[in-house]
Amino acid sequence: MAAKDEIMEVLKGVIDPEIGLNIVDLGLVYDIETSSNEIVVTMTLTTPGCPMHSSISLWTENVIKKLEPEASVKINLVWEPRWTPALMNSDARRELGI
Amino acid sequence: MQSEALISAYAPPFKIVLKYFIAAVIAFVLLNFLLVVNYADINGFHFQPKILAITHIATLGWITMSIFGAMFQLVPVVLEVKLYSEKLAEVQFWIFLTGIIGLVSCFWNFDTGIHLTYSAIALNAAILIFSYNIIITMTKVKKWNITGLYLAASIFYLITTGIAGLLLSINLGFPFINISHLLYLNLHAHIALVGWVSLVIMGVSFKLIPMFSLSHHYSNKSGVVAFVLINTGLLGLSTVMHYENTTILFYVFAVITALGIFFFLHQMYLIFKNRMRKRADIGILFSKTSYILLGISALFGIAIACTNISYQMNVTLIYGYIIIFGFISMIIVGQMYKIMPFLVWYHRYSSKAGREPVPMLKEMFLEKPAYAGYYIMITALAGAILSFAFQITISLLFSFVLMFIGSLIFLFNFTYILIKAKK
Repeated sequence: MAAKDEIMEVLKGVIDPEIGLNIVDLGLVYDIETSSNEIVVTMTLTTPGCPMHSSISLWTENVIKKLEPEASVKINLVWEPRWTPALMNSDARRELGI
Repeated sequence: MQSEALISAYAPPFKIVLKYFIAAVIAFVLLNFLLVVNYADINGFHFQPKILAITHIATLGWITMSIFGAMFQLVPVVLEVKLYSEKLAEVQFWIFLTGIIGLVSCFWNFDTGIHLTYSAIALNAAILIFSYNIIITMTKVKKWNITGLYLAASIFYLITTGIAGLLLSINLGFPFINISHLLYLNLHAHIALVGWVSLVIMGVSFKLIPMFSLSHHYSNKSGVVAFVLINTGLLGLSTVMHYENTTILFYVFAVITALGIFFFLHQMYLIFKNRMRKRADIGILFSKTSYILLGISALFGIAIACTNISYQMNVTLIYGYIIIFGFISMIIVGQMYKIMPFLVWYHRYSSKAGREPVPMLKEMFLEKPAYAGYYIMITALAGAILSFAFQITISLLFSFVLMFIGSLIFLFNFTYILIKAKK
């Protein structure tokens, strides 16, 4: 099973198509749990009711499946704690011009 | 949490929304074309056949078709509820379209007989089908928010606008309304533009602008105050206009309505102030311009309501032009530049993301022509206002040509996005 760091790295390939930034830099990924055959990603989105939510969940699942084709992937989309801009890293802040 | 995860399941089929948007964009281009070829007739008193016809292509074809499409998409998504009937949304489209074609051709030829009434009845039938569909949908909402509140209230004004329009259409051929036809027309127009159109724009803005600009940590109080003031003002105006010797009350309610609009603008100011995305893209640029023009329209409206300036040449035309081509058209174009790429992306690329390269939303259309279109439309707006004010026919023609070019650029990008859906 891939390490959490590796999974985090492939998740950088999941880009919010509206903002143009990846979900890791945006601070949307809260947790990654791995077991022998399952990977659970706990994540959120910038706005509750974001219409992109199913696309981004599917995209996340697809990139992990590419890395670990045999694993069962579960995307746990949560709204608590609520995402705030403070969760973005410095790369995302620079891109947004903050 | 589970319900949040099912949001996309609430959205209606893309083809229903698209049908309304396509009709709207065609109406936008058509009305600008008609202004160009009939520029010599667009001056002086606003109550004349061609101006009535073109105004209704704008309000029913361009504006209301856009809103119907947007509401079919947004009501289910924002309020987390499934649209009551997709079939009714389909049937309503054709009845509404037939009504528009009938009404506009009657106005154009100034046929004030039974055909005008039949067309108004068709439009009212479509409005009632829409209202029934949305109201039944809304009865299933479990979690209300400020956007839902504005959208629900707008339905009341849509129905009122339709009925007032029907009464006016009958009154034109067979006078029966006790108060002046023009005063009633004034009421019809303000209920339509402030009650129906503006409340939808405001409600949708509270949801979409924070989402697009990543705005957090602001209070919604001004938005709630705006809701109370605008509704108080509009209901007050509609009531006092039916009675004599109510001039003071008329001023009071006109000012309350305008005050409500300023509270809305304050709410938008707070949203923009707390945004994380500092760079404004084309959609936000059009939207911001629209809000500024709404402020100007509200000040203009107060001046018209409380002074005698409407007796000056072309003042009513300038007022109407700023509202329709400034405030409303700018927000529709701006929000369509956000919503259309999303809908097509979702439809076309959603399942491919992560398996193959997919475009960003801003790559779904050509940005440079879109910005050029923005500056052309702004120039056209300013040019038309000055031409009306100074009554210069040749520059009015030039301004109408520019606005027509602006509408063609928007049509080009709209088509470009649609082609992406087919590829």
